Amino acid sequence: MADTEDAGASVSEPLDLVRLSLDEIVFVKLRGDRELKGRLHAYDSHCNLVLGDVEETIYVVEEDENEEETTRTIKKQEEMLFVRGDSVVLISPQA
Amino acid sequence: MLFFSFFKTLTNQTVTIELKNDIRIRGILKSVDQYLNIKLDDVEVLDLAQYPHLSSVKNMFIRGSVVRYVMLPRSEVDVGLLEDATRREAANQAGKAR
Amino acid sequence: MSFFGFDTTLPRDRGRGPGAPKGFFENSDPFAQVALADKFVDGDAVDFEDTYDGLGDQLDDDQDEFNDDTFGGGGETAPVGRDFDFFGRTAGVADVIGEEQVRYSLQNPQAAPAPAQRAAPATAVPAESTSRRTGYEKYSEPGYIPDLQAKSSVWTQKAEPTPAPAPAPAPSRKIMSLEEVEAIEAQMRHRGQPIGGLPPQQIPQSMADLYQRHPQHFPTLPDGFPQLPPELQAQLEKGGMPHPPPGMPELYGGPGPAMPPGAPFLQNNLPPQNMPPQGPRHAGPPQGQRPQNMQQQPPPPPSSRAPNNGLPVITNPQQLMHLTEEQRNTYLVEDAKRAKRNHKIFLLSRGNGLMTPQDKNFITRIQLQQLVAAAGNVADSDPEAVLAEDFYYQVYSQIRGAPRQHPHQPLGHFAQTYLLQTGNRLGGNRHRHPLQGADNHMQRMQQQVQRAVEAAKAKPKNKQLIIEGSLGKISFSNAKAPKPMLNIKRPDSSEGPRPKKVQSDLSLSDRKSILTNIERVYSALMSMEDMERTMPPPPEEGDADAIQEHMEWRQKLQSLNQKLWKALKVMEPIVPNSTTPHPFIAFLSHPKGKKAIPRIFRHIDQEQRVTILTMIVVHLDSLDVVRLAQSIPGEAQPSLAVREAIDLFSLAVMPSLLQYVNEAPFNIIIGLLGLVIAQTHVQSVARTKVGLGILTMLLSRAELVKEAGQAPERDWQQWVEKFNVLFDTLEPVLADIFPGSINSGDDMYVWQFLAAVGIGASPEQQQRLVIAVKDRVMETVGYSKSLPADMSSQRLGNVNLFMRAIGLDVELLG
Repeated sequence: MADTEDAGASVSEPLDLVRLSLDEIVFVKLRGDRELKGRLHAYDSHCNLVLGDVEETIYVVEEDENEEETTRTIKKQEEMLFVRGDSVVLISPQA
Repeated sequence: MLFFSFFKTLTNQTVTIELKNDIRIRGILKSVDQYLNIKLDDVEVLDLAQYPHLSSVKNMFIRGSVVRYVMLPRSEVDVGLLEDATRREAANQAGKAR
Repeated sequence: MSFFGFDTTLPRDRGRGPGAPKGFFENSDPFAQVALADKFVDGDAVDFEDTYDGLGDQLDDDQDEFNDDTFGGGGETAPVGRDFDFFGRTAGVADVIGEEQVRYSLQNPQAAPAPAQRAAPATAVPAESTSRRTGYEKYSEPGYIPDLQAKSSVWTQKAEPTPAPAPAPAPSRKIMSLEEVEAIEAQMRHRGQPIGGLPPQQIPQSMADLYQRHPQHFPTLPDGFPQLPPELQAQLEKGGMPHPPPGMPELYGGPGPAMPPGAPFLQNNLPPQNMPPQGPRHAGPPQGQRPQNMQQQPPPPPSSRAPNNGLPVITNPQQLMHLTEEQRNTYLVEDAKRAKRNHKIFLLSRGNGLMTPQDKNFITRIQLQQLVAAAGNVADSDPEAVLAEDFYYQVYSQIRGAPRQHPHQPLGHFAQTYLLQTGNRLGGNRHRHPLQGADNHMQRMQQQVQRAVEAAKAKPKNKQLIIEGSLGKISFSNAKAPKPMLNIKRPDSSEGPRPKKVQSDLSLSDRKSILTNIERVYSALMSMEDMERTMPPPPEEGDADAIQEHMEWRQKLQSLNQKLWKALKVMEPIVPNSTTPHPFIAFLSHPKGKKAIPRIFRHIDQEQRVTILTMIVVHLDSLDVVRLAQSIPGEAQPSLAVREAIDLFSLAVMPSLLQYVNEAPFNIIIGLLGLVIAQTHVQSVARTKVGLGILTMLLSRAELVKEAGQAPERDWQQWVEKFNVLFDTLEPVLADIFPGSINSGDDMYVWQFLAAVGIGASPEQQQRLVIAVKDRVMETVGYSKSLPADMSSQRLGNVNLFMRAIGLDVELLG
């Protein structure tokens, strides 16, 4: 805690960038063709996250009768979501 | 320890856990540890038809690493406090790294 | 046979003064005594010499050549630092044995002292120990009470003097009977006494042991809650198990086959747990050759069985010579028994006196730390550490009233900070209680306007009838009928002038720098909040230290304040007609910037507050909540995001501003109104909830100042001038400042504003005012008749606030 005064002053580590996005809308890409968009309320060094008012988008690739691949998207809403960090691929400010 | 601290405040709340194999389980969060392993009571498996083998499970221990999401009750989360706790954690980490 | 490069010369080879203390084996061979005595008694004797296989004599003592290579440095002279300070760890365990024995002796108060036994160890302080062994230095510091003989007995490979046979655990105890000794053993075995010098397993284990015995030392451990991580639980269980922890057996090597057959019970009765501490294993003599109890000492050569000082009664061989045969026999029998006992006691008590109480405390603290660190446990006694690790839980629990684990900790301050914040229902909680926060603010504003209205009523400008007692009707704070306050203002769709300058959205880099500023502000805020908690008590008169402390504290707080102020960027120069917003205004465009304002206001002085307020007023029409709240043709109301932003601004920023304005001197109010008129596009500002709110604030405060008679005439003239300008500017759009249609409901703030204008207005202006809004008044009155009673009275109440401000009442309208 003694370091709180300095922590915000410099953006020296990658996670410091994430800190800037606290209480802002972030875009999160996850393993398994999933994306999240929501307000970032918490993160830690493992990229565990808590997001509020989240929209989850899942991309599902399906083959139709012509053996052509089509991508279907499923969208889900969650009011408050904890995301386990090992699924996270990237965190980006806004979408 | 941020999320351990965080989940401790959510004990005895109903949460829905989505595992990395897409199983979704709703239950009462009984306890959590520093690895974010989770103990759930009164569980109810959503899409039970897909996972009939889970129909008789009433409580379970979930290894933290298999969790994808935990859906939380918004009313039980103090986001302002959580954001400050996150800032503190970040500062602590930075302090340790130095 | 030196393992650590210590002096390996045997004491007997080292010219030693006659008075020098001697070790156990040098002085007396208990087994030899046993053998001797037994011979005299029944001839069923076991002579040590007969049974000792002499393997110890074959020990190769000269393989020290590579010690330096292995451990670096020039053997005895080169410092090894603390790398090989196994003593500390060994001692940590020896400590426990010592405690155990003290405990036992306390339980057996009949025990009497055996001073003779104790004399030898207490006096023996070989000086060379301190000079040679690095890592020991601190133990020879003043304050440390050295008992180096015992220490070296643990340490040395050479036959360094070991403590005389029974350095009895407690100063006051008699020689224990065999039964007693065995009782101790059994007890220790049962307790799974941790022995051995190899942390980390052992140290936490012995701590766990401590914990079992003194759970009250861990008052902060919650019961029932899985606060204890699994490892620790395991440790605790282990501590209670009658088995050595995994890995231990390996330490002990064989069961000690070199034990003389004459003492087989020793072998059987000594559980491995009672093994004395030892350093790391090494390729010394084969383990089997070492007597179980003396692993680091060669077996005593026969020659060393010289008469001794260490044994109790007979301290000198000559004494024995002077006795009669019978006496000697009796004595020797006694002596042999005693020797047996002493030997066992010795085995149990090797660590006695190794450490001073300070050492024990020190070790205990280290052990506690390790336990906590290894377990990742927050049951630390340091509240700061708990706070650092468990901040969210601790503060949340206090806010939500859950039982806390550490009720003694000074978290009240934090809870207050966040209670104040969440009391406004900022953040996520505003979703839960969407109306509460808005109510709070609107009520405060309402109160201010009402006060102004009442004050004005006390000196009515118009001689119109005031219906006394109807005041009670103007109650907006009835809890049972919350108003739909969050139906955000719908700006009037009629064409109005646009804001004078259109500001572009921030570029990405600007955005990042703004966010960086915000995080700096939060960092400074959190530091200041931490500082506040550690405020030293107010110094007493003449207490220079306390005054000094207080001054330093103030200074730190002041420098944090400067940091905060700098990060806020309030003092950045205002660039006229710039396309990018002022940094502070950009700061306010982020939700977390808005949320920070109440916290910032608690930590800055009045001058800084007025600076912020001025900044906001000057940029009123470029605030996001004003700029974006302008109606877009074709859309009924601003987007959801904008509505949320307005909401948040009303909840977070407005109360702080209102609070300042309520205390502000009149000239500042005049100045601020002048700035609104001069610097902003008043007509568009007036179409927004936030803009009207700020105007209402200023107008009602001015009215209160005037009614209180605090305004000098000159100031008042100035104010009236400004007011007239404002009135003239706004008059054309007065009908358009209402949000949306009549049934939208959320027009309370407009009535408040109109009331504030109405009080300050001249009779002629009041007339114009009534004309401008009379349609809306009539509509609302008519509309409220179709509403349920409570909603109706509420809507009428809103209108009536305005009506009463100009000396009318809705009831007069019939």
